[in-house]
Amino acid sequence: MSFAASPLRTAFALLATGLGLAAPRAANAQEIKTNRYYELETKYIFGFTNGTDIGAEGEKEIELETTGAFRKRAGRYNAIEQEIEFEYVPTQYWGNEFSAHFLSQQITNVPGLDNLSQTGFSGLSWKPKWLIVGRGPGNPFGLSLSVQPAWERLDGGSGAHTSTFSFATRLAVDTEIIPNMFYGAVNLFYAPEMERAAADFAWSRVSTYGASGALAYRVAPKVTLGGEAEVNVAYGGWGLGAFSGSALFIGPTLHIQVTPKIFLAAAWSVEVSGHASGDPGRLDLDNFERQRANLKMGLEF
Amino acid sequence: MKLNPSLAAALALPLLFAAPAMAQQATVRLTIKDHKFSPATAHAPANRPLTIIVRNLDSTAAEFESKSLRIEKVAAPGSEISMQVRPLNPGRYRFFDDFHVDEAEGELIVE
Repeated sequence: MSFAASPLRTAFALLATGLGLAAPRAANAQEIKTNRYYELETKYIFGFTNGTDIGAEGEKEIELETTGAFRKRAGRYNAIEQEIEFEYVPTQYWGNEFSAHFLSQQITNVPGLDNLSQTGFSGLSWKPKWLIVGRGPGNPFGLSLSVQPAWERLDGGSGAHTSTFSFATRLAVDTEIIPNMFYGAVNLFYAPEMERAAADFAWSRVSTYGASGALAYRVAPKVTLGGEAEVNVAYGGWGLGAFSGSALFIGPTLHIQVTPKIFLAAAWSVEVSGHASGDPGRLDLDNFERQRANLKMGLEF
Repeated sequence: MKLNPSLAAALALPLLFAAPAMAQQATVRLTIKDHKFSPATAHAPANRPLTIIVRNLDSTAAEFESKSLRIEKVAAPGSEISMQVRPLNPGRYRFFDDFHVDEAEGELIVE
């Protein structure tokens, strides 16, 4: 895919060069190929927001994904989830991720939560993703749908021993605003859960609805920087009946294609606005956390 | 055994669609030698299923890959690989050898 020069692209290139981030680009036909801006898979360049790409048919990848959630309204709250993922793309329209989850939590003097310090295996999930419209020649927008049935034995918020079944569903759209350089994505997601405490027979239902938008710009052939905003709305049920709280997260993203077979992606977001039902505070720190971070490393083989 | 006419029609129906589709299948043949694709620029018809056949004439393995075609496959030294590609829109689709990204690349022009 070629990309035409535009004032927007020129402005970004100048900005990147000014920051010392852009790799030098050769000015003649003997350009070093590794410095060229080839196609980039968008799957992980938007941080918590998903790109639509699923990878190439036949691709196999091991991924290590660490997601941290930090700070409640008071006390000390740190939760870090480690996922070990195997990704396989059997067709040009469909990819899979199989994940084992591990959770480490340190909670001290947080209102409404028991103090605890624990680390352990927390669950399993499977995430198939369908590429409904592949971005490329003739299709400026990509469209994908993913679902993630998951079973968890530790509550990701309180750390309590539970049986939780969830079914996170995400619709993603993305495009290349400037081909091979500047990307944008929008996600809509819905994550219903049913949970039962270890010593309880009753199941409780909760759900999270959300939307996010992200932009990402390649400041160098292998380095992409961006930013994203995400709104989460929590309900005490699978429908829209019992509002529990909402939160707006904003933060930067980074993606580095270390080698053709290895990538590194990072994102950090902070809750900048929100409201929890029954809480006069300006943020929702009952259903969500003040900060969250994500680090992902993938090794294709 | 007497076959239900409705069932027979249902079984035969896919053949009506499959036969023309098979007839329209296009094939692109490439070779890799000295870590270079030949031809470096290939052509294929739009909106038809495509088979890409790559013969690796080198003494080292190659991995044919294309992000826009969404395929990748390893070709052992001296071997031939075949990949099925969905019907494509007109445009340019870059491919490369992922084991020799600085040396082997080409382009499929679909029109």
